[in-house]
Amino acid sequence: MKNASRTRWLIQHFKREWQIYLLLAPLVIWFLLFLYKPMYGLQIAFKDFSLFKGVDASPWVGLEHFRSLFDSDMFLRAIKNTFIISFLNLMIGFPMPIILALMFNEIVQGKFRKTVQTIVYLPHFISLVIIAGIVINIFSPSTGVVNLLLMKLGFEPIYFLTQPEWFRPIFIGSGIWQEAGFQSIVYLAAIAGVSPSLYESAVVDGASRWQMMWKITLPCILPTIIIMLIIRIGNLLEVGFELIILLYQPATFQTADVINTFIYRQGLVGNQYDVAAAAGLFNAVVAFVLVMTANSISRRFTRTSLW
Amino acid sequence: MRAMKLPLALAIATTVGLSAPLFAADEDYRIVDKPLTLTIHFHSGDKIVYDSDWPVEKRAAELTGISLDGVASMATQKSADAFNLMIASGDLADIVGGNRLKDGFNQYGQEGAFQPLNELIDEHAPNIKAFFESRPDIKSAISAADGNIYYIPYLPEGDFGRMYFIRQDWLDILELETPKTVDELYKVLTAFRNDDPNGNGKKDEVPFLSRDWEEIVRLVVLWDARTTGSDTFHDYYVKDGKVVHGYTEEEYKTGMMNLAKWYQEGLIDPEFFTRGKRSREVLFGDNLGGMTHDWYPSTTSFNDSLADKVPGFNLKAMPPPASPSGRQLEEHRVIPVKPDGWAISYTNEHPVETIKYFDFWFTDLGRRLSNFGVEGVHYDLVDGKAIFKPEVLNASDPVNAQMWNVGAQIPKGFLQDFEYQAQWTNEMGLESIALYEAGDYLTEQFLGVSMNPDEQNVYDKYQGNLLTYMLEMQQIWILGTEDVEAGWDKYQEQLDKLGYNKIIDAMQSAYDRQYGS
Repeated sequence: MKNASRTRWLIQHFKREWQIYLLLAPLVIWFLLFLYKPMYGLQIAFKDFSLFKGVDASPWVGLEHFRSLFDSDMFLRAIKNTFIISFLNLMIGFPMPIILALMFNEIVQGKFRKTVQTIVYLPHFISLVIIAGIVINIFSPSTGVVNLLLMKLGFEPIYFLTQPEWFRPIFIGSGIWQEAGFQSIVYLAAIAGVSPSLYESAVVDGASRWQMMWKITLPCILPTIIIMLIIRIGNLLEVGFELIILLYQPATFQTADVINTFIYRQGLVGNQYDVAAAAGLFNAVVAFVLVMTANSISRRFTRTSLW
Repeated sequence: MRAMKLPLALAIATTVGLSAPLFAADEDYRIVDKPLTLTIHFHSGDKIVYDSDWPVEKRAAELTGISLDGVASMATQKSADAFNLMIASGDLADIVGGNRLKDGFNQYGQEGAFQPLNELIDEHAPNIKAFFESRPDIKSAISAADGNIYYIPYLPEGDFGRMYFIRQDWLDILELETPKTVDELYKVLTAFRNDDPNGNGKKDEVPFLSRDWEEIVRLVVLWDARTTGSDTFHDYYVKDGKVVHGYTEEEYKTGMMNLAKWYQEGLIDPEFFTRGKRSREVLFGDNLGGMTHDWYPSTTSFNDSLADKVPGFNLKAMPPPASPSGRQLEEHRVIPVKPDGWAISYTNEHPVETIKYFDFWFTDLGRRLSNFGVEGVHYDLVDGKAIFKPEVLNASDPVNAQMWNVGAQIPKGFLQDFEYQAQWTNEMGLESIALYEAGDYLTEQFLGVSMNPDEQNVYDKYQGNLLTYMLEMQQIWILGTEDVEAGWDKYQEQLDKLGYNKIIDAMQSAYDRQYGS
């Protein structure tokens, strides 16, 4: 009896709301096709995979690929580099757009503000290949701006892109240069949503602009910051490896080689899909743990969370 | 009626008289009575897909009765991706071809994706058979570990590729001789660096440059080391019947120490790792470059293209400078068999016709067609020799690009004719070849081994990381980040840890099986 009424309710519900479900359908189908179906193929991480035999017919080899991965100094080094680059990126790269947004917010003059904003947004729309070309040219030992400056100041020119210790600063710096402006849009939107009455009463109370920024703007956009932080942590291990591939050299592998570039070399260049899948699976599991941890910490301490 | 017939037949005979012998000859190449269309997946060099409209393909279809329908699409840009996608889909075209497919053909062939060709060749392909009988080494080189042949390879002809080129005009300005030994070369490059041969008053000369950074590394050959055994960079080579890698040997250490010194002293392009593929155009064009090691056709062409921009520009081939032990070696050589070609897939229902079709390209006519294009359109037959028409030789596009556009010189299974290249090589190029031919500087090549699945597993497991490490240390040493002498023992230890000896064991057993020893 109860079941029957439930079914009737469902039918009525769908009759009433079918348009909404129709709107939802493309995304669900996209998820199923492009994110869930490929998970079936993850099993090749545990198989001796042959393209011709296919996923099903390839023989199982258990944890063989994981064992050889963790036996390899190269992979361990890639893990280490991934974490170092990610955390540096998070520490330095994450606050940048917030600072930028706060600074934009303090600019009163309309035209100047618009011009500056456009200039800092622009790099976001340039292809990575071109960014890499620009970086290579700027840091070139003979014609690069940086080295010309160094030489004018009486220093020896440095071949930056072949020095392991310079790779991370250059990589993180160019990442910030490209993305910080565009990412600040989210925070600007959040700032725009802060109720003007708060500022008005603060002005009445005689607060300085500095105090207003610290006591009103920042607390009001804190939820946005936290959400962005959690998302960022979820993507922590997804270092922008395309830019690394464009910039690194064997000479800088010791600081530049990350899990994704390792996967690229093993899987796509070396055609070892099974080993690469194992490395990718490991990467995904670590990323999953990280985002879960960040989310629960955030829920406990700030009551803001993704879910 | 009867009286009518004879003159008519005569009349026909006289009108077609000129082409009659050709017509009869054409009939000899016919493979099938009823036209047969086979599908072909041919994606090569990230730029060529098989096109049924190619004049060469159309002519071959007329002659053999078999036409090929290209199913590969340029929508996939990477040839390797196109091949892998097709294999993964399991939906194979009748014929599969392209470049760098040897490992794919042999691995998936043994798994059943391609048909073994040995018996088909013996019974139906007299020309291919004759070729393999004359070159048993090539037959071994392309055979899979199970002893079967799974593909018909592209066989380039002409040994010479890269050569040492030096700025003769700079030598003349500084009144120097062409360096004959590595020590003399050192002095010449130092002079290029210090004595301002381009005369602009600045110390901006780049004595040695290359568009491939691997070529800088190859300089270690001048100190008796080896960097590769084939036309692929960083390959293994065979030394007295043993497979070894040049990057593990003592001579390599000596070479690296000297190279680091050269780099430190500015004799080598300081930016060679990041300069990129156009470094020759840039550095020669700005009158900054002094010497390189590169392909002779493109390198000699700078003498023409830069004649206006750099007055007196004269880039000339020189013999390889002698090493301390007196060895004069040009390590690079055009390999006689490329890992390219075509194969018959397991779904092909006409294997006999297909192998006969493959064999057609090894006949004289087929070979001319695949080398020079269509007779009467791209070449004329003069005294039995194919000669390119003047409009082909004088066109603005290089001849090889023109040939690709009509379906000739594509890396399918065919035997290249060096005559094709000689006809459009400039005089400088021919001189360079003569110089290197006279000196006999080339060496035997390592044509690769076909490993069985166990050996292949060992190789796949270790090779990637091993090579990465070798290249990493190579750069670190040349750039002077670490001292070669100090790091050498650790390097050797690490190579062992990364499985160098295991790879060598696997390759050696495959080598012994394949080439007999």
